[in-house]
Amino acid sequence: MSIQVSPINPVSTVALERSTYLSHLLDLAKATSNEIAWLQEVRDHAVLRVQEQTFPTTRDEEWRFTDLSDLLKLDLVTAAPADATAAELPEATHRLTFVNGFFAPALSSIDNLPDGLAIGNLSSLATEAQSYLGKQSGAEEVFTALNTAGLTDAAIILVRKNAVIDTPIHLQFISSASQPALIQPRILVVAEANSSVTLIEEHGAIGETAYFTNSVSEIWLAENAQVNHTRVQRDSQTAFHIGKTAVSQARSSHYTANTIDLGAKLSRHNLEIYQTGEQTETVLNGLVVARDQQLSDTHSTIALTKPHGMTRQLHKCIIDHRAHAVFNGKVYVPKAAQLTDAGQLNRNLLLSPKARVDTKPQLEIVADNVKCTHGATVGQLETDEIFYLQSRGIDADSARKLLVNAFAYEVLAQVPIDSLRQSLIDHVARS
Amino acid sequence: MSTSVKSLVNQPYKYGFVTDIESDTIPAGLSEDVIRLISAKKNEPEFMLEFRLKAYRQWLKMEEPNWAEVGYPPIDYQNIVYYSAPKVTEKKKSLDEVDPTLLETFEKLGIPLSEQKRLSNVAVDAIFDSVSVATTFKEKLAEHGVIFCPISEALQEYPDLVQKYLGSVVPVADNYFAALNSAVFSDGSFVFIPKGVKCPMELSTYFRINNGESGQFERTLIVAEEGSQVSYLEGCTAPMYDSNQLHAAVVELVALDDAEIKYSTVQNWYAGDAEGKGGIYNFVTKRGLCQGKNSKISWTQVETGSAITWKYPSCVLVGDNSVGEFYSVALTNNRQQADTGTKMVHIGRNTRSTIVSKGISAGQSENSYRGLVKIGPKAEGARNYSQCDSMLIGDNAGANTFPYIQVQNNSAKVEHEASTSKIGEDQLFYFAQRGISMEDAIAMMISGFCRDVFNQLPMEFAVEADKLLALKLEGSVG
Repeated sequence: MSIQVSPINPVSTVALERSTYLSHLLDLAKATSNEIAWLQEVRDHAVLRVQEQTFPTTRDEEWRFTDLSDLLKLDLVTAAPADATAAELPEATHRLTFVNGFFAPALSSIDNLPDGLAIGNLSSLATEAQSYLGKQSGAEEVFTALNTAGLTDAAIILVRKNAVIDTPIHLQFISSASQPALIQPRILVVAEANSSVTLIEEHGAIGETAYFTNSVSEIWLAENAQVNHTRVQRDSQTAFHIGKTAVSQARSSHYTANTIDLGAKLSRHNLEIYQTGEQTETVLNGLVVARDQQLSDTHSTIALTKPHGMTRQLHKCIIDHRAHAVFNGKVYVPKAAQLTDAGQLNRNLLLSPKARVDTKPQLEIVADNVKCTHGATVGQLETDEIFYLQSRGIDADSARKLLVNAFAYEVLAQVPIDSLRQSLIDHVARS
Repeated sequence: MSTSVKSLVNQPYKYGFVTDIESDTIPAGLSEDVIRLISAKKNEPEFMLEFRLKAYRQWLKMEEPNWAEVGYPPIDYQNIVYYSAPKVTEKKKSLDEVDPTLLETFEKLGIPLSEQKRLSNVAVDAIFDSVSVATTFKEKLAEHGVIFCPISEALQEYPDLVQKYLGSVVPVADNYFAALNSAVFSDGSFVFIPKGVKCPMELSTYFRINNGESGQFERTLIVAEEGSQVSYLEGCTAPMYDSNQLHAAVVELVALDDAEIKYSTVQNWYAGDAEGKGGIYNFVTKRGLCQGKNSKISWTQVETGSAITWKYPSCVLVGDNSVGEFYSVALTNNRQQADTGTKMVHIGRNTRSTIVSKGISAGQSENSYRGLVKIGPKAEGARNYSQCDSMLIGDNAGANTFPYIQVQNNSAKVEHEASTSKIGEDQLFYFAQRGISMEDAIAMMISGFCRDVFNQLPMEFAVEADKLLALKLEGSVG
């Protein structure tokens, strides 16, 4: 852990820098336009939230291993719309594309929607979004509030009661900026009772310019709803990415997240699950591939509140070169959440002597009639396994690649779309 | 919640009596003058006073930590007596001259100090409030070159040895409570095992708090030279008071090449009553330094007492191939709070560590495991295995785990597992079916749950620990 301090008056200079930087970010956020009356109130409230807080430092427990000092060096401007080309997924007939946080209708495909599905940007579905947008727990967190303070558009997906949507919905966020910009994508997903939907959320970039993506996804599952959510982060190697996925699950709902973090110089994903009803199921699969000087941080929180909750989490990290992976997985089981079955496994593969991992699986349990386990491992490729493959005539390099790919495949196999899964497998194999 | 495993009933604490003995107590409060007074009373060498004052000045600048999963009202450090000793403190030549009241006290605690009744093959240093009152088997140990005496005595007789190692593992300003201890500690045990010596018997220190206003600040220093071995055990009890007493100890272990230190603790300070009134705040810094190659430090702890336990016996594995071990059972009942665990810091090559932690929480208690496994960039081939299991009895108890794993070397292997379970109704039924009473069944299950740790304790104490746990949970079913 490194804390950057200048020799003269160390604390106050850094603090000052951080506080001015946060107010600069807030100014950028506030400068975005807004034409929806009720939204202004939500934005103003979030502005106050941000003003109450300070920019995180490694002295904050939540940011202990993730130093944002490099972000301070980035001179950011407000994002502007730009041209881009959409990368289509053949399986997904419906697509919402946002470039630099702005809706790009030409790159989207929202015609011929099946019954019970409404998708679009905020201005087209403002009334429907009003009772959900910004209402998810954890909205006070500084970067979430910053996103809300600059909320100007959002990808909205509404799945009506009993609607079962067969084809996946593709949400694409492309960053294409000529100078470093603050880009704040926003997603709202509402799955009404007994509905089912598959989402593919992709973050990517055109060009090598540095930028700061601060994205927030709010997902609501009503009773018996099922959401399968794949989130792929392939931002530019110069970018900063801070993402929040907040999910609230009502009784008997089922949520699956497949989070694949491959890009960005520094990325942080906060995954927060709130099980608000009985018999809810949550499955979280995560894969992080960090190379060169990348830092990839995942903080997940699963808060159970009712009996018979089930959670399964598998988080895998492959760390090469001088990269650094951070994982913090919290599971809260209060007294009311009896008969909880919670399992968590974090596995880390270190491929180089300079690679680094900091992991903290954290269980907080008050209920007594529960089954909770967690495990964490840190290791390297087994020499025995490589030798075994070599004895079959496979050279050492290919053997190593095979084993790394197999390690990643356990998570990638969960991605429900063939074309995307293959492209991710290829991506991991290349690196 | 099953009806058979009901909330726990508080078991009377049988060590809760107060010994009526005249004591030499200084007024409550802390200042440089108080520190000078303590140092003068102990007739300490100059370097000790400097050590204390340095620690005190650092302490003034520090803030009390608040990150642990424990809650307590603010401590008034000016309202604590920093020195209390039974009167007539000049060191006795023979045990026969020790105040009979004191001997009787230790007799009642089950620690006979008189010649005939001594525990066979265990040397005991008995510490009453802040001062060591008796040390047994000193002569026999001296034959082997082993030094086992109160640290105040060591400061008189072996000042160079103490100066060399004191504060070398836990620096004066290491943390808030260690700094406080460094400033005001009054006594403790000093153990020195010379090169190649295997200590012929178990060494043991027994701590007793008697004074209601006093804090206990003892300091233990164990140095094992090249190729030596020692097993050390500490035990502790205190009377029942409505007020809380602060216990802020520091334990430092140094193991040189091929040396082995085994440190066992059976902690049974007064835990407060069922409503959480009274009890000891046990804020302790324990750290072992595996300085030499192939050295080994093993911590075993059975934590059953104290209103609040806050301690992390740690191993700093500097020497290549050195080994650190931590075996812990922490039992909390009623309103007790425990935030305990370990730190294994791997610095040298091929260093290995094992962590086995068992937490049992009953009543309305909070029991947290907090641990750190850190593999430094140069710790090639380092290996860690951690296991922390929690057992919850009743649905008002809490069990938390906060394991930090930090790895900066790709040849390291780290494994961590944790689980939470409870005593199942069907398990109890199975025992009942075989004519085993509920209480015996629970005692057996707890004992089985803790087996991995109890197996690490020296023989006599393993039996004691088993009994202690059964006693603590007695009346837990109804």
